[in-house]
Amino acid sequence: MDAWGAALTVAVATFFGAAAVAAIRPKLGYALSAAGAVLLLAVAVEALVGGPVRGAAWSGPLGDPESLVLDGLSGFFALAAAVVWIATAVYSLTYDARRSPLLAVCFSLTLGSIALLVASSSFLLFLIGWETMTVASYGMILQALGRRGRVFSAAFVFLVFGEASTLFVILAVAGLRVGNGTFAEVPFASAGDLSALVFVASLLGFALKMGVAPFHMSEWLPIAHSSAPSNASAVLSSTLTLAGAYGLFRVLSLLGPPPLWWGAVTLGIGAASVLLGALFAAVSEHTKGLPAYSTIENNGLILVALGVALLARAEGLTDLCVFALFAAFYQALAHAVAKTVLFLAAGWTEHVTGTFDLTSVGGRVKRGDRAAFAGTLAATLSLAAAPPLAGFVSEWMILESLFQSYQFVPAWVQFLGLVSGAAVALGAGLIVIAMVKFLGFTLLWNPSAAGAARRSPGLAVPIGAVGAVVLGLGIGAPWVLRFLTPSVAAFSGFPVTAPVGGLLSVPNGWSILSGSPFGILSPPMVPILLAIGAGVGAAYYLLGRRGAPAARVTPVWMAGSPPGRDGEVYTSFGYSTGLRIMMSTVLGTREIRSGAGPVSEAGLATPEPYSVDLEVLDIFKLFYDDLVRGGEALATALKARVMTGDLGRYLAYILVVVLATVIYVAAAFG
Amino acid sequence: MTRSAWREEPADRFALTPDRALAYVAPEGAFALYNDFAARDSVLATGLAPVPPAEVVAAWRDQGGERRPHRLVPPDTVEGYGTFTFPYGPISMGVPESGRFDVVTYGERVLELTPIGGYKARRTLPSLAGRPLADAALRIERLAGNVAAAHVAAFLAAAESAQGTGVPTRELWTRALAQELQRIYNHVHVLGRIAEAASQNVGSAETHALAEQILRLQGHVFGHRWLFGALLPGGPPRRLDLDGRRALAAALAPRSKEFEELWELFLDSRTFVDRIQGTCPVARELAVRWGAVGPTLRACGVPWDDRLRVPVVPYTDLFLALPHERDGDALARVLVRVQEVRSSFLLLEQLLDRWPADGGAPEEAAPPVAPGRGLGRVEAPSGDLVYDVRARDGRIEAVAARTPSDANWPLFSFGMRDAVFTDFHFAFESFGLVFAETDR
Repeated sequence: MDAWGAALTVAVATFFGAAAVAAIRPKLGYALSAAGAVLLLAVAVEALVGGPVRGAAWSGPLGDPESLVLDGLSGFFALAAAVVWIATAVYSLTYDARRSPLLAVCFSLTLGSIALLVASSSFLLFLIGWETMTVASYGMILQALGRRGRVFSAAFVFLVFGEASTLFVILAVAGLRVGNGTFAEVPFASAGDLSALVFVASLLGFALKMGVAPFHMSEWLPIAHSSAPSNASAVLSSTLTLAGAYGLFRVLSLLGPPPLWWGAVTLGIGAASVLLGALFAAVSEHTKGLPAYSTIENNGLILVALGVALLARAEGLTDLCVFALFAAFYQALAHAVAKTVLFLAAGWTEHVTGTFDLTSVGGRVKRGDRAAFAGTLAATLSLAAAPPLAGFVSEWMILESLFQSYQFVPAWVQFLGLVSGAAVALGAGLIVIAMVKFLGFTLLWNPSAAGAARRSPGLAVPIGAVGAVVLGLGIGAPWVLRFLTPSVAAFSGFPVTAPVGGLLSVPNGWSILSGSPFGILSPPMVPILLAIGAGVGAAYYLLGRRGAPAARVTPVWMAGSPPGRDGEVYTSFGYSTGLRIMMSTVLGTREIRSGAGPVSEAGLATPEPYSVDLEVLDIFKLFYDDLVRGGEALATALKARVMTGDLGRYLAYILVVVLATVIYVAAAFG
Repeated sequence: MTRSAWREEPADRFALTPDRALAYVAPEGAFALYNDFAARDSVLATGLAPVPPAEVVAAWRDQGGERRPHRLVPPDTVEGYGTFTFPYGPISMGVPESGRFDVVTYGERVLELTPIGGYKARRTLPSLAGRPLADAALRIERLAGNVAAAHVAAFLAAAESAQGTGVPTRELWTRALAQELQRIYNHVHVLGRIAEAASQNVGSAETHALAEQILRLQGHVFGHRWLFGALLPGGPPRRLDLDGRRALAAALAPRSKEFEELWELFLDSRTFVDRIQGTCPVARELAVRWGAVGPTLRACGVPWDDRLRVPVVPYTDLFLALPHERDGDALARVLVRVQEVRSSFLLLEQLLDRWPADGGAPEEAAPPVAPGRGLGRVEAPSGDLVYDVRARDGRIEAVAARTPSDANWPLFSFGMRDAVFTDFHFAFESFGLVFAETDR
């Protein structure tokens, strides 16, 4: 164990130490977590640059060797998570002023367990980290300030989905153990049915954690329904789902050449998630529900890229496989950082306005904190895939890989690529609506109604800093891609080169090439061209001595009415109602009227207030509600028939079991 | 239907007795004048509460005083998550009119639409007190320019009834001629506005051209495009001698043909018909209870027309069709208007053909409803128009009016419920509503 290995061990241990300290001094706990994340970031960079970092090693409880290792693959996920954690922990120093120390404890514990599972070299340690992560996150959600009943039910839903996920992950790990004879993360020795079982179990288990369709309930409900703390939401949405992605990537990297249907299933689930996530995000009215739904969309995009990579691998299209893998990694990175900003911004707007309700936030946020404003702007635009930001690069790469699905051989795979491409494109359009809504109704809205600006640099600076990372990841994409080469190589198991190059007069290495060449994009050229354009405009005015263009400020024209009276401004709800009506089949839109109704219909002499509400519902939630009702009915029936509380009956059960055992033993050994 | 048929119906079914009329045309501005009293009774028998009593109506009408902007329909209070008020106006109609529409919505769909008038309230009616009849009539015809003939005819009838003045037969025929011309203009104009909203550029241009031709015809015959002063003693010289009548008949025949061709064009356009079919439907029951008038009422299957139900000379002597439709939507209202244009062309033909000889005994005015107080009632293009005039010694004491817009605003508002924003213009134009008629 060299110095880097020691650093890795210290970094992981720091999180657990922070959890212990946080019980007494929450702020110190957050500070320690931030320090641990900085250390982890350094180690992760070293793992990508200088090769695998090996930390502490010991012998596990079942005799397997256990150790902490960051190779290219885990190094990437540690890197993405560390960036998120630094910002979130610093943010929490200010944000968490009013809450119980338990939030700080669970926060650090979640970070530590994710670090542990990412750095573990054996699946047993992975499982320990996985389960600790679930329980610690459950603890974080419980610290929500919402109504107690709601908080408990939301946290419970999270726990149910979390444990279901653990069950499937255990099944996958068991399959790996049977095939390999060890818990160590080594290439799978067995093939055929067993590897198919491992694939299905791990896809189910990790998809449950990533919150993709049809398990997206596990993503939006705990965050939005209970209004979980914003720092917790950022960790849940950005890095908990990232841990799910890591698990899936890790298992797939060990399973060997995939059959065609693995990629097809992954692609299908991903495309459905993109569409559903984007649609629900666009109609969400919760400043944290909207980013949570967007997470479903983004994780769907990761699965789409992964699906294309698996299909290309099965078809023997190595170039496409590598390109799609780069797209998947970049998508994971871009989403993690941008989504962090959105949740931190939601906490910031809540701090200023006291609400998570997008419809009421509108127009109440003063632009006091420029850093927060700029950071939120960068992150929302990135999630809306606007150039030159990180989300734009990854979205472009994913669409480029889907465009190349024409190379797949069986017609149904081609067709799947076609349909998925359409779904991803539609999702990309819908998510623009969602992001414009988030940005517009939190920050861009005319803040005439807002009170005095309430500055909180402690919240604003982390938001701005991560926003800068989003911009950097966008402009510097070709270099970041080259930096990520070891990660992709670690996943694919063969040496790869980053899909960068040059074309026309763009310098070599400044462009991303899909295929050879299929499409080309040069992220650094976008800001350069923008700057040139702006420079020409500026020169025109300055050299022409025309001075700055004359600006005229007028109130908004409201057809002659005085502008912006209370209750006469467009609400964020109204902004997306068109979508609610158009997509009513998917959204289950219905209008609920209560009260006497209008004067003309009710036949009243004087009017009485009545209300009209347009409701959308998650059709999958109906399914789960039915499932819960069925389970409860079954439990009630069992209780009435079998577990009656009658002592004589219980004695009879025991007698039957004893008799059966005696007969079995007699038959087996007699 | 022959004319004797309606005359033989039970006397009280449609009879506008003085007490009934005065109950609904009160000076404080009641708005509901029941046309079909028997139908109203049958609706009331279903157990539904009656329309707000007069004092409630007066309360919401007077909100904010007479001159300041006030709502034109009963108030409703709808609330719900994400709902907000979308104000449209008062600059909503371009140059001609000022009026605001407050749309309560949660986006896209109209939950409640409140027309707000009074931005250009001119206090014309109160200003008439003490003026000579002719002076008052000049102001009345400027209330709402495009329906000047109907307003003046109703006002004059009321004033004549109040004072018991007889009117020469030919003068009554001239009033009918002017009104029918103006009805054609207004209906064609409504069609043009709807075509404009539906982006039917050819249809809209042709329709407006036809409307312009009718205006020019009015100008040629009566000396004023909008018929201002045309029905008053001392007005511009009329070209209604034999040659003038022949020329008018010759000019009208091709217009009628043009209109038919134009309507064929519209019927061929699926987009046009789709856009107004099912738009802003008015239920028959609501129309009767809230006292809708004119094409709005007839489009819901209630065949009421003042020209047939409370006929005056010359309508007593002419053949007149009574078109009506069942569906109550914008298409039904347009269909009624189209058939009325045909009917008006036919009426004009009959008027010009059977023009009465000069001289003879003047027609007696309707008996006053009270000493010195008369009602005048005509079928304006958008419906039943009633004037209540108190006059003594050739001077006006007080004037009250119930215009078609007064009666139809609530129905427009009700019909727009659950419509989407883009239905607005089609719905609005199909009612032929005019802010000027309520901003009096």
